Amino acid sequence: MAINKKLLSLLLLVSSLSSIALSSSSFSDPDSDSDLTNELVSLRSNSESGVIHLDDHGISKFLISSPTPRPYSILVFFDATQLHSKTELRLQELRREFHLLSATFLAANNNGSDLNKLFFCEIEFSQSQSSFKRFNVNALPHIRLVTASTSKLTDESGQMDQSDFSRLAESMAEFVEQRTKLTVGPIQRPPLLSKPQISVIVAMIVVAAPFVVKRILRGETLLHDHRLWLSGAIFVYFFSVAGTMHNIIRKMPMFLQDRNDPNKLVFFYQGSGMQLGAEGFAVGFLYTVVGLLLAFVTNVLVRVGNVNVQRLVMLVALVVSSWAVKQVVYLDNWKTGYGIHPYWPSSWQ
Amino acid sequence: MAAVESSLPPGTPSAMRNAFGTVLSALILVLIGVLAFSIRLFSVIKYESVIHEFDPYFNYRVTQFLSKNGIYEFWNWFDDRTWYPLGRVIGGTVYPGLTLTAGTIWWVLNSINIPLSVETVCVFTAPVFSAFASWATYLLTKEVKGSGAGLAAAALLAMVPSYISRSVAGSYDNEAVAIFALIFTFYLYIKTLNTGSLFYATLNAIAYFYMVCSWGGYTFIINLIPMHVLLCIVTGRYSPRLYIAYAPLVVLGTLLAALVPVVGFNAVLTSEHFASFLVFIIIHVVALVYYIKGILTPKMFKVAVTLVVSIGLVVCLIVVAVLVALVASSPTGGWSGRSLSLLDPTYASKYIPIIASVSEHQPPTWPSYFMDINVLAFLVPAGIIACFSPLSDASSFVVLYIVMSVYFSGVMVRLMLVLAPAACIMSGIALSQAFDVFTGSIKYQLSSNSKDDAEDNTTTKNAPKDDAASGKTDKGEEVAKERSSKKGKKKEREPADKPSVKSKIVKKKALVLPLETSIVALLLLIMLGAFYVIHCVWAAAEAYSAPSIVLTSKSHDGLHVFDDFRESYAWLSHNTDVDDKVASWWDYGYQTTAMANRTVIVDNNTWNNTHIATVGTAMSSPEKAAWEIFNSLDVKYVLVVFGGVIGYPSDDINKFLWMVRIGGGVFPHIKEADYLRDGQYRIDSEATPTMLNCLMYKLCYYRFVETDGKGYDRVRRTEIGKKHFKLTHFEEVFTSHHWMVRIYKLKPQKNRIRGRAKKLKLKTSSGVSSKSAKKNPWM
Repeated sequence: MAINKKLLSLLLLVSSLSSIALSSSSFSDPDSDSDLTNELVSLRSNSESGVIHLDDHGISKFLISSPTPRPYSILVFFDATQLHSKTELRLQELRREFHLLSATFLAANNNGSDLNKLFFCEIEFSQSQSSFKRFNVNALPHIRLVTASTSKLTDESGQMDQSDFSRLAESMAEFVEQRTKLTVGPIQRPPLLSKPQISVIVAMIVVAAPFVVKRILRGETLLHDHRLWLSGAIFVYFFSVAGTMHNIIRKMPMFLQDRNDPNKLVFFYQGSGMQLGAEGFAVGFLYTVVGLLLAFVTNVLVRVGNVNVQRLVMLVALVVSSWAVKQVVYLDNWKTGYGIHPYWPSSWQ
Repeated sequence: MAAVESSLPPGTPSAMRNAFGTVLSALILVLIGVLAFSIRLFSVIKYESVIHEFDPYFNYRVTQFLSKNGIYEFWNWFDDRTWYPLGRVIGGTVYPGLTLTAGTIWWVLNSINIPLSVETVCVFTAPVFSAFASWATYLLTKEVKGSGAGLAAAALLAMVPSYISRSVAGSYDNEAVAIFALIFTFYLYIKTLNTGSLFYATLNAIAYFYMVCSWGGYTFIINLIPMHVLLCIVTGRYSPRLYIAYAPLVVLGTLLAALVPVVGFNAVLTSEHFASFLVFIIIHVVALVYYIKGILTPKMFKVAVTLVVSIGLVVCLIVVAVLVALVASSPTGGWSGRSLSLLDPTYASKYIPIIASVSEHQPPTWPSYFMDINVLAFLVPAGIIACFSPLSDASSFVVLYIVMSVYFSGVMVRLMLVLAPAACIMSGIALSQAFDVFTGSIKYQLSSNSKDDAEDNTTTKNAPKDDAASGKTDKGEEVAKERSSKKGKKKEREPADKPSVKSKIVKKKALVLPLETSIVALLLLIMLGAFYVIHCVWAAAEAYSAPSIVLTSKSHDGLHVFDDFRESYAWLSHNTDVDDKVASWWDYGYQTTAMANRTVIVDNNTWNNTHIATVGTAMSSPEKAAWEIFNSLDVKYVLVVFGGVIGYPSDDINKFLWMVRIGGGVFPHIKEADYLRDGQYRIDSEATPTMLNCLMYKLCYYRFVETDGKGYDRVRRTEIGKKHFKLTHFEEVFTSHHWMVRIYKLKPQKNRIRGRAKKLKLKTSSGVSSKSAKKNPWM
């Protein structure tokens, strides 16, 4: 990385010198165009995925001082290291996807004529604040396509919408293909495991299988422990009735901040179609604890000799259980407006 | 029960008691059946004897066809009144179980001179089968934990809201019979597992066949049972009984399943079934190992084990390789979209809008569990723990069943239906155990207080009790009593469990709880049960009985009935030509064909996404483009459902975004963003021009301003954006009483000469539009 940066600054120095030298020459000189393109190509070859790291100089050189129409378009990813910790922005994930997109584009147009028509660049906020200003970027994540004909950097027509990177690299590719008429090709994600890893794992399984089978035949594995199965079953039950799958599929947060009072946290969401993470776990716990107490009383407590201990524990269990049931009914009533009524014979009323 | 009686010498008091118990539990079962049937009649009492919702109308239509034309005609039925112009092969694409069942019932009733109409039979099929399902639950739970738990589980299932929601009178859908088939198949599997009888194994395969006939959910069975077999093998519970329970089911069951046209070769080709074949091979390898172990000395066996294991592994690896190759060769990996969205829950929302759009495919939140299984959610963990003490083959199966079903219900709210029986079984077991312990303690304390005789305990404790009169305690008594007979039975049937059961009886002398707390606990449990009953009756009466074809609303000036749907379908059938084509969103396809007997473009059988997308595109297009699309499909009438006048929320405007999404999935010029203002879906003055000019908006809000002068939409709670406009290509022919259904006619083509010069110019335009452009006189 350090070498890259050095190289970059060197190149910038050389290029700025040359641009000064060339500034007197004609405005849309094909030579300078191809020079810029060549420079971009060489910069690109330094990066594994083909994403060029630019700073203020690079931006001014390749986008501002270069005459329109340029022979290339540039897709810029706006990054800020200080915001990487904010997971809700998904900056790092999007950056990885951006690199993947670039790599895919390179692979798809390896020998094609379109290879040098689109370059993927990223700029970092702390290094190039003025460029952020020039692009008029105030919020991240932000990806902008600067087409060959874009003359003003503040022109926001090339901005990628939220919906365009919602499906990650796939939708970014659609955006690029739509705007530039270049083909990106199908996104090829690196497989989770590489081929040698898979073969090692398969070999390990094959070697281990006889030992495992032997232990199974003897009945000595963890799998023969009833307690493991029991706790697994109870856990799955808790996991499901807490609506955790809903939270995963909908990507619900554990809690929200109150809109009126930012210091207050909202743990329970009113309305039946949605739930928050903490809320689900709380109610899942209430659902599960009653059954567990009942099972404890009927299976364990009956074996206890001391009557007073039995009495005390049962009292606690009964109080907790009825509290839990009441609480769930109350919460359900609060959340969904649940209210039931019995049907008595009309003569009783 | 019969086993218990035969094992005891007749004439003894305990034999008498058991005979009495048998009669009593038979009586209770009959009452449970009556309860299951009658709790589902609210819809008939509150509304009328009418088929509900959407899919049941299709099933009703098929049943009518079956009863009129006979089974062979039904098998070969090609329906040309739907999916115009494609049509649909009904016989080969429908699960025939429900239709054949109702058709048979109708035929039997008629042949013994009980002249019920097909509709009546269809309306009451579901309640009848709920009674069967609760009896099947009794049988299943009895096999697992004795008849006390069985009765409790059956009573719980008879009124579990989740099941009521799909089986009220009039809800004539596959699930109504399929849940019975599911439980009965599981019962026969457990019965075979407990007895090792080939007779039950054969019955099991036949029950599985019935399940395959009835519902696509049969894949749950064919994956759950192999999983259980695998679990038994892995935990060292292999026995010849397991082999007999499993091998015939796979062979016979697969052969029978392949006979159902809609399944056919899928029974051997799709990934949903591969698990069963894999386990089939494994169980043979294991059986071989056990056999060799039996005929060899331990030393020889050690040598042999290496040999057999290595050969077995090679065979397994080859099979796995073949399976992987097969799976990899199909685009979705051989899995259907719905199954994939179970394994990878985020799958559907990403790739298949048509699955994601259905509300019953959404993941549930915690209130859904409280609504659908109510207090059972509290009792299930206790049932799970009870199943582990002691763990038998049967109880491990129900544990696996609850774990799998509760996970799947978490992914799709629809599968709550599969969870419900499992939850009932588990809660029945938990309740039975709790009542057993508490009533036993009370009995013990009372008798030891009066007699001070500790030796008498075991006999008195096992005797039936006769205090307390409420329905719940009735069950409690049963529980206490039947558990004793269960023990007797288990002793003779399961030699493996003998020591533990015996030791439990010996220990039980001391297993008591304090008197007062037991009474309080008992009372609380009864209250919990009473709450469950009230909730279930309320849910059956208020929440799940609406037929959704007739709507009611209560306001200060009394009850309002909205019968607009039937009014409009009747209008269609009386005022249009029998061969006219009616376009609407797919939700209303089944009803239009069944009630109006008119040909539709798309219906609720969403087999052709492109066709649905075409209709969605037409609805989202401006008037002219929509006219072209509809005209190219020979459509004469367009039907939209609009709730803005009376505040009916599930109307077409609220479903409209799905039409846009599904349409845009196939025809990219329809973009969801064009219909949203800053990501918000609105129809007021802020709405986008695309939204205000699309056909759906115009057809819904045409002349709407005339109702109140302002155009205030009572569903969206806002004034509409565009109030005064005229239709150019459509004319209004019918609007129902409360404006819920509006029917428009496509204006006929005008004289061809007028547009001729322009038409020639347009010939260069491409694709679909050029084809339809030829027909369009306005261009």
